[in-house]
Amino acid sequence: MRVRVIGIGSPSGDDQAGWRVVDALTARGLGGPHEILLEKLDRPGAALIERFADADCVILVDAVCSGDAPGHIHHLRESEWAHGRGSLSSHGFGVFDALALARALQALPPRLEVYGIEIASLEPGALPDAAVCAAVEQLADQLAGLLQRGLRDRQAWAQSGNSSRRSRKTN
Amino acid sequence: MSESRNVTIRVPVLARVEGEGALDLAIEQGDIKELRLRIFEPPRFFEKFLEGRHYAEVPDFVARICGICPVAYQVTAAQALEALFDLDIGPWARAMRRVFYCGEWIQSHSLHIHLLAAPDFFGCGNAIELARIAPEEVRRGLRLQALGNELMELFGARSVHPVGVRVGGFHAAPSPERIHAMRERLAAALPEAEALVRWTAGIALPPDAQDFVSVAMRDPVDYAIEHGGIAASDGLLIDAAAYPEHFVERHEPHSTALFSSYRGAPYLVGPLARLNLNRDRLPDDVQALLAEVGFALPSGNVFHSMLARAVEILLALREALRLFADYRVPAAPWVAAKPRAGVAVGCTEAPRGLLWHRYEIDADGLVRSARIVPPTAQNQARIEEDLRLSLLNFGLDHADDALRLHCEKVIRNYDPCISCATHFLRLNVSR
Repeated sequence: MRVRVIGIGSPSGDDQAGWRVVDALTARGLGGPHEILLEKLDRPGAALIERFADADCVILVDAVCSGDAPGHIHHLRESEWAHGRGSLSSHGFGVFDALALARALQALPPRLEVYGIEIASLEPGALPDAAVCAAVEQLADQLAGLLQRGLRDRQAWAQSGNSSRRSRKTN
Repeated sequence: MSESRNVTIRVPVLARVEGEGALDLAIEQGDIKELRLRIFEPPRFFEKFLEGRHYAEVPDFVARICGICPVAYQVTAAQALEALFDLDIGPWARAMRRVFYCGEWIQSHSLHIHLLAAPDFFGCGNAIELARIAPEEVRRGLRLQALGNELMELFGARSVHPVGVRVGGFHAAPSPERIHAMRERLAAALPEAEALVRWTAGIALPPDAQDFVSVAMRDPVDYAIEHGGIAASDGLLIDAAAYPEHFVERHEPHSTALFSSYRGAPYLVGPLARLNLNRDRLPDDVQALLAEVGFALPSGNVFHSMLARAVEILLALREALRLFADYRVPAAPWVAAKPRAGVAVGCTEAPRGLLWHRYEIDADGLVRSARIVPPTAQNQARIEEDLRLSLLNFGLDHADDALRLHCEKVIRNYDPCISCATHFLRLNVSR
């Protein structure tokens, strides 16, 4: 079983949330070359899709702006994937655009979990807000538990949950 | 018929291109009264930012101009400065610069064909819709794009704003093991690129022959990518230094990007211009493939640009493989530069066309002034001219939506960095 945890972000203020979740999982001793791959990306665009090919499970963490309080953790179901701006330009190809394209190509991983951390500030070079930092640790704890349970009972875990996808595509 | 029909089409946001633009079209009494591609993105001031910077900073600095074609900016700047400093970077760095550049062509062209341009020709609103009806082709396109990115990462550590190039060569040389692995992947992609050429050649295009001058680099031996002189389809052949004597930039009130002209008229740069001028520099079997699929060159139909990109993907894969054939790690991946005062000039063929740089350097190696002429600015006047001619060919009596879609198709066809925001056009029609 191979799990990819992908944090998406930038060095700008709260937008570090996704990267910091990956750092926090690394600090908890998770991640390695074989079963759990931890990765930090910056605007992967359509290249996100290729990272699904060898994974039984992908966990995506990105910053979101929905109007909730900073630090709120979203666990997004497939039906909640907003379709970007519908633009699909090379400069604006976002995570939801990539997920929608992967879905059309039947290239989504068997299990996909999409998390968002609500952010407020994008100040270049600034540290994230305290509420965002707390959410990072909370989500890292949650994901660490999920991954450790998964390592104990691989088969059951790979086939269960799947909160962000309704069902596994078999073709 | 609508001889007296008045139509005003305003596309207020041509969206997230490397620049923000809009389209204004007014048709009165069956004639085009107004047609303007408005670029209203605020100036980015890169040329001013460079003033006072040390020459060694320039390649990393200019890479930030574009997230899609940073290699073009880096290599052009480095080569211009190396020429001024009379620096011979040696055969290894010269060859690997070309390979690095091939990676950018592969990723940029694949992205444009599959995510931006092709949906137009299948009646799809975007790549997701295209993926539903042509999943294998879109998957193949994404694989090619990813391979191009990996080739860029091999030399630049990352594909967006890579950091591998320095004045004098590269900061580091990849190991033979990594090159060997990449060679296998490039070889495996050749049939995919050939299939892509056949697929794009089979896409029905609007017949739209136009008369224009093609401008591209030309080399005595190679298909010009990162070296060669500047040529035009009317017979011009000059060194990079002579560019300002023949090509003129001017401001237009409706655009923050400069318009370029050659002998007082618009001209085309980009993949179709390159093929129009350099068909004889393609390998024989690639030329045979073009003959087989019925791609006659030179072509005056700019809609052939998508097919031209596919051909250049195939060419870039082959070039990378050829240049990797005897790969050895050099004693040093770069040679030391000794700055000297003077004017550094250089040009290369960015994915979207000719890219020209000029730097005035002082005795301390600091930039006194910089001038950068990107391909999209050079194409801007040609896009407006093309829109006008293409709309007349298409017929002005079509419905507003059809007119707007045709305009968008024409604009997207150029893969303008000002119009990467393709598929994000909002339309206001007033009568």
